[in-house]
Amino acid sequence: MSATQTPSPATSDAEGALTAGEPARVLLVTGLLGLAAAFALTVEKIALLRDPAYLPICNVNALLSCTSVMTSPQAEAFGFPNPLLGLVGFSVLTATGAALLAGAKLRAWFWTGLQIGLTAAFVFMHWLIIQSVFDIGALCPYCLLVWAATAPAFWYTTLRNLRALARSRSHPSLERAVRVLSEVHAVPLTIWYLTVLVIIAITFWDEALSLTR
Amino acid sequence: MSRNLKLSVSLAALVVLTLAGVFLWTAGRSVAEPVAPPATAAAASDAQAVREDSYVLGEPGTGGVTLVEFLDFECEGCRAAYPLVEQMRRDYDGRVTFVMRYFPLAGHFNAMNAVLAVEAAAQQSRFEDMYARMYATQASWGDQQVSHADTFRGLADDLGLDMAAYDKALADPASRARVEKDVADGLGLGVQGTPTFFLNDRQLQPTSEEDLRASIDAALAAAPAS
Repeated sequence: MSATQTPSPATSDAEGALTAGEPARVLLVTGLLGLAAAFALTVEKIALLRDPAYLPICNVNALLSCTSVMTSPQAEAFGFPNPLLGLVGFSVLTATGAALLAGAKLRAWFWTGLQIGLTAAFVFMHWLIIQSVFDIGALCPYCLLVWAATAPAFWYTTLRNLRALARSRSHPSLERAVRVLSEVHAVPLTIWYLTVLVIIAITFWDEALSLTR
Repeated sequence: MSRNLKLSVSLAALVVLTLAGVFLWTAGRSVAEPVAPPATAAAASDAQAVREDSYVLGEPGTGGVTLVEFLDFECEGCRAAYPLVEQMRRDYDGRVTFVMRYFPLAGHFNAMNAVLAVEAAAQQSRFEDMYARMYATQASWGDQQVSHADTFRGLADDLGLDMAAYDKALADPASRARVEKDVADGLGLGVQGTPTFFLNDRQLQPTSEEDLRASIDAALAAAPAS
């Protein structure tokens, strides 16, 4: 076993010539997480279509229930099951992250495209959060994973693109703002996570309390 | 630790700990607050545990003792009590009358759908079959926020009910009125949750099977022999 061990990946990192500040790892990790969740949702959706009495393993209790969310009209916002979008979108993120890690240089138009796609995903995700929390009244664990993965992918890509924009246009005030944001890059993301958490906690307070009895 | 990490971690810790603290505090304060019964229902002023038309499981007993259960088909406690009730029915067969009354709780999304499905079956004299089916399938539809009216219709179809009559019964306001009469009696008798048992007119709070058995035995001994 030890004879076949390869050198630690730290050395390959240097030769990969990864440009500082490119969200390579974030895109790869969030892409894989989101892909896993979208895949699981697709499989559960097919099982549920085959047999309406099917019980997905993610039905934990009244609060955490895939069936409530997956059978809602909002689960097919564009006339087809939402996870199909996730399968495509998260695959792109995964491939982009892997390409960046492998040393790829992407032109500005690619980053613009990624920004447009992620912004659309980020907006759509907020609509889904609102529907799930306030209209359907249940949370599905796989969807939570998708939300958790989309936010950092969007945030770090946006930060990278703002940095590139500030550099190319030599916009001093934007540059200053980007520098501060880059220093405390995890804080806006943490605030976003906590905001969603607090909204969920307040909305489902009584249900969660009744589950403790 | 970098400023970035320090800020993020302390922010997260502050919010999460505050939430957890308030949650535990409220959980400790509100002890066993029952799930609210239907808001529209009013308590009956002349509440009775048993009425002429209340559903009796099997044949009425002759021992002068009636065990009444106010139930909700989506309530897990009721499903847990179901085998116990069945055991009592076997053990006290012919002596005790077992009466079931509806008490769908508002906190259960499908409780009313389930009760109406059972009521529709009851109108075809199949109360007990549908009642047993509800508990047998509860795990597949309970605790969800989507309507399972179609699931229940499927159960009725499986039982071989007259589905035209079933649909008519579901749409008939009289079915709902009948359920609400049970709820009104329950509220008038001080029922706050399910399952709630009454032995004759006295509310029981059995802590175990032996406890329930002892209460029934005592009531049988005290009842005038008929």
